[in-house]
Amino acid sequence: MRTGNHIESYPRHISLSDNPVVWFWLVALMAAMIVLPAFSGLFVLGLAIRILIAAVGAIGLNLLTGSTGQISLGQSGFLAAGCYTTGLLIADYNWPPELALPMSGIVAAALSFLVGIPSLRLKGLYLAITTLAFSFIITQFLLFAEPITHGPYGVRIEDTVLFGFDLAEPTTMYYFCLGILVLVTLGVLNIMRTRVGRAFNAIRDQDIAARAMGINLTTYKLTAFAASSFIVGLAGGLMAFQFRFINVDIFSVTLAIEALAMIIVGGLGSVAGAIIGAAFIILLPEFVGDAIGLLPAGISDVLARGALEIKGLLIGLVIILTLRLEPDGLIGVWRNLKRYWSRWPLSV
Amino acid sequence: MDLFLNLVASGLVIGSVYGLIGMSFAIIFRTTGVLNFAQGEVMMLVAYTAWTLTHTLLFPFWLLVPSTIVLAALIGMAIERLFIRPMTGQPIFAIVMVTIGIAITLRSLTTLVWGHEFEGFSVPFSGGVVEIGPVFLLTEQLAVLILFMAVSAMTWAFFRFSRVGMAMRATSQDETAALLMGVDSRRMSSFAWAISAIVSGLAGVMVSVLFARAPDMWHFGLKSFPAAILGGLDSPIGAGFGGLIIGVIGELSAGYVWNGLKEISGLILIIVILMVRPYGLFGEKELERV
Repeated sequence: MRTGNHIESYPRHISLSDNPVVWFWLVALMAAMIVLPAFSGLFVLGLAIRILIAAVGAIGLNLLTGSTGQISLGQSGFLAAGCYTTGLLIADYNWPPELALPMSGIVAAALSFLVGIPSLRLKGLYLAITTLAFSFIITQFLLFAEPITHGPYGVRIEDTVLFGFDLAEPTTMYYFCLGILVLVTLGVLNIMRTRVGRAFNAIRDQDIAARAMGINLTTYKLTAFAASSFIVGLAGGLMAFQFRFINVDIFSVTLAIEALAMIIVGGLGSVAGAIIGAAFIILLPEFVGDAIGLLPAGISDVLARGALEIKGLLIGLVIILTLRLEPDGLIGVWRNLKRYWSRWPLSV
Repeated sequence: MDLFLNLVASGLVIGSVYGLIGMSFAIIFRTTGVLNFAQGEVMMLVAYTAWTLTHTLLFPFWLLVPSTIVLAALIGMAIERLFIRPMTGQPIFAIVMVTIGIAITLRSLTTLVWGHEFEGFSVPFSGGVVEIGPVFLLTEQLAVLILFMAVSAMTWAFFRFSRVGMAMRATSQDETAALLMGVDSRRMSSFAWAISAIVSGLAGVMVSVLFARAPDMWHFGLKSFPAAILGGLDSPIGAGFGGLIIGVIGELSAGYVWNGLKEISGLILIIVILMVRPYGLFGEKELERV
């Protein structure tokens, strides 16, 4: 009988996973992801690209809200900043896309100091409102500063060739996004197992105690803001290549709420949770759309007309139900199942 | 000077709407410590219901007002009972997230039921023009100002003198002590949601009279955050007058500086204020005990 997972050495404690079974399935998952474009049509590939980009953004938001406990409703502003940075640099300033994409993260991270510095004195709800206000200011700026941002006319991106690969090609875009997601995942997992990551968790759990332990709140909160915004900005840069025509309407409050829904449903503070949550929130309306198609013609016509509303309704209900029934999200469900299975005769 | 006065007047009108919604934020926050992100959506739902009462069921105006108030109270209580009360004992973060979930649910539900069309909302007193010196106001704009004054006075009197209002203040100060004195704190939370739904619902009706009954009405909820922060989230009257200030500043900055500032000058203002005073202009500083 298994008696639990005994960790006896420090390297094993901080390793990404000490379980060969986990590694096996991860390799299997990666292999499946790599061969996916060979078997799927354009529609599935498009969905997969959306999930990959959303997962990058959700990991970024989760680093700030889930791991550091700083509630931000403004990450859609950084997403917009990143997306416009890449788009404008390519369209108006003829930057090579190889340089324009990383700039999206860098500009978003630089902007995050504007939010991060007032946030040092703010907590909880006041922080949430300030970040929301910043995202409004960013979108309002994008809409009204027409000489710089094209205002309401949007930006068209023509040059999408990165290192000789054309990202307008869905398969190439898929592999590129997959690569970025893997890099971001590894990066965040590695941050979380260093002093910096443990400091983030300490700030989330009890900031006063963290300060008493010698954690500099200013440095680490700003680091969290910058790192999170860098990743979110990068997701925005990817969106520029995904849409190839961007305007402000993409970055609504609804997008910020969808991002929150992803990390809540997936599981706050968990990288795997953010990825699962992103996949869940993107796929949910698709599956429900298919389910509606199976209903009798009269009902399905009525429901199909309100597809956008039904999507919103589902996202709202999923947020409410997750918080009510399983605050740890889908990753919490998985952990409970795993514990139940591995300790079976004694599990509760 | 005429431009200035007219800008101030239209600022006061729009500020009254912000103030009413800000007040309804503060009423819930003060009693239960929850910031209700769904306030704009509650407002929208009440306004849509009132619209149906007038334009489909053809209620006369004298019947519309009391029935809207009753419906708003029922809507507020139902939301509290269905979504908020089961969350009792959970961290505030989780409850606030639930209100975000409620927001998007209500918004989608309303557009699903009523559709995307913009519809006018006609009331007997709309359409006239009132001239006060150099300032021109539509009668419905004047009505918003009067409504704001009346609701502020009633809210103030309610919290100051009525038994229930005092019980609500007691709950917000010390829930345990209030419970020991025989105050049912669950019922207080229910009352708070009902009153705040009434206040924001009246604001919603006025918004649809001023502009239109439209599917993007919920934006007013977000735009009223600056009002609530400026006046202090725990002071309904402060939040009301915060709304007036935000409204006037918005109109003046749009009139004199740059049109794009209209929507965001209030937001910029509260960011500056929160940097200097993290608990709002009139909010009470929280002392932390470890």
